[in-house]
Amino acid sequence: MPSWQDFQPFLITGLALGGVYALSGVGMVVLFRATGVLNLSFGAVGAMGALIAWQAINGWGLPQGIAWLICVLFAAVVTTVYGLIFGNALAKRDPLVKATATLGFALLLLGVMDLLWTTSGGASRSISLPTDNSGFMISGINIDWTQVIGLALGLVITIATTLFLRYTKLGTAMRAMASDREITAMLGVPVNRVLAAAWFGCGVLAGVSGLLLADLVALDATTLTFLVISSVAAALIGQLRSIAVTFVAAVVIGVITSMITPIQSITNYANMTPFVLAVIALLVISGRQTISLERGGI
Amino acid sequence: MTATKVPDSNISGDGVREALTLQMQKLDKRTKIRAAVVILLLAFCLLLLPSIVSGYYVIALTQVAVYAILALGLGVLVGRVGLVSLGQAAVLALGAWVAARILFATSLPYPLVLLASGMITMVLGTLVGLPALRMRGLYLALITLMLAGAITTVLATTNFPNGAAGFLGYNSNTITIPAIRRPSIATSDTAFLRYSIVVAILMFLLVVWHLRSKPGRAWAAIRQSEASALAAGINTTRYKLWAFALASFLAGIAGGLLAGADRFLYSYDFQTQDSITLLAVVLMGGVYNIWGAVIAALFMQLLPAILNQIGVSPYWLTVLFGIGALQVLTTAPAGIVDQMPKDLARLGRFIFRQFRRPATSEGGVQ
Repeated sequence: MPSWQDFQPFLITGLALGGVYALSGVGMVVLFRATGVLNLSFGAVGAMGALIAWQAINGWGLPQGIAWLICVLFAAVVTTVYGLIFGNALAKRDPLVKATATLGFALLLLGVMDLLWTTSGGASRSISLPTDNSGFMISGINIDWTQVIGLALGLVITIATTLFLRYTKLGTAMRAMASDREITAMLGVPVNRVLAAAWFGCGVLAGVSGLLLADLVALDATTLTFLVISSVAAALIGQLRSIAVTFVAAVVIGVITSMITPIQSITNYANMTPFVLAVIALLVISGRQTISLERGGI
Repeated sequence: MTATKVPDSNISGDGVREALTLQMQKLDKRTKIRAAVVILLLAFCLLLLPSIVSGYYVIALTQVAVYAILALGLGVLVGRVGLVSLGQAAVLALGAWVAARILFATSLPYPLVLLASGMITMVLGTLVGLPALRMRGLYLALITLMLAGAITTVLATTNFPNGAAGFLGYNSNTITIPAIRRPSIATSDTAFLRYSIVVAILMFLLVVWHLRSKPGRAWAAIRQSEASALAAGINTTRYKLWAFALASFLAGIAGGLLAGADRFLYSYDFQTQDSITLLAVVLMGGVYNIWGAVIAALFMQLLPAILNQIGVSPYWLTVLFGIGALQVLTTAPAGIVDQMPKDLARLGRFIFRQFRRPATSEGGVQ
């Protein structure tokens, strides 16, 4: 058993990862609550954004700031376009069909990424944010600013989203849509515009988390696409409803996954953490009640 | 024997009976023709096809047979019961592991090994399904996605058996890895292809038998409305579990065949992505018809082989499958197996009309 000293750096990594998972998880929960779509293409969109940013920096020689902007904008636009086309086409269908359709979209993006940025030649890419190189130390542990941003952004977005939904006009409209789309439309809320806003917000979060995960984990299409499973697990633990629970669950998943790494005997199983936690949570929930997908207020 | 018009004046009595018998004969004839076509097709696949294609395509077609069985199970789940599993390819990997382990450990005849791997995988799959079935569709799909991820992670660590001792049967220091054995009657690639096709036909018959008997009717009721099915006295949990068990059993059988087909199994050949690709092709093939499974398998295994040979990147297929899945979900829920004949009939009608000017409305095929 490694000593506490060995765990410390992994705790920091885990917290940072957990923060980014929370970012994605919260984005998914909000979109699900507003539109009934569980966006499983979240990771693929972020991955493609990050790859485009990489291309912008290394291929087109653009400054980093603009590249990041392109990444986030791309993710937001692509997600919004998807939402406006397929979100509307599938509006009346089962949540399962909507979620499966986003998987189709994820496959499409994955294929495009593999075509444009092949990994077959052993080409490895990476994105490093300038915040990687500077940082500070707390009781002998190096902490870089990217890690701080990861956790802080997760926390900030969680709080901001909660406040946004509660106190702004758009947020109220989204909550109303979650309750009943038809009645909301009757009340004069521009439903399509609110939907577009929800998709856009989700896309922005996808772009930001794609960028951060590309830096913290790896810039690889498949890895980033399926990292989304950790966020899905967190969102599931929050029963696709509670933003606060999703945040906590995401951080716990990030920390446990990371903390298992130095334990030799089970290090290979670290990646199972989100699955195991989500399955346990679902079993506990289903033991008490049959989960209902009927949407109430946020 | 087409459209002999029933005289309008003689609606009652003989006329109707005559028309009915005629209809019956027509129906009967069509069924006969269909059966004949199916048998001819199967005979062609079984007798002629393995010997006329090159070794490269023999291997690809064996994979098609294996994946047809897998797709069939998923098709039953999605199309007949309305359950979506996002982890079926991981269950296949599980079946392959079990079969490989048994094949290395024992000298049981191959069919028994297949049956055993089917049964063991069925038990494991059902254990997974048992708690998940209490949840609604989306949650079940997500839990299967989680489990697919978990199985992939475990297999990446345990690796596939390579003939070593111990429960896992894997030793990383083994220098010469023995090939997984094949049935003694089918040691060559061509013979194994025939063997796989026979197994696939048996599995298709098993599913047809299910669909035509009590479980099939129960599944149809559940898919229409779970509440009504429950009200009609159908034990919905039991039949949902049954469907899950059947799909897992088929995945286990497919895994057993895969072990013999590949002969060397590596965990990196099984990725979480495969389960999603599988769902996409199954949706594209068509989930309401068992032939959809064959189309799905052709998409997933034969197309890449063809593209590879003509030097086109297989990633185009990922793009195609993504678009196909989206298209099926939004506009054509019955998939290609349903869409293709309709489109062909429409094309046929169009051509027919071009040649015979005075167009009649009865030129269509039903």
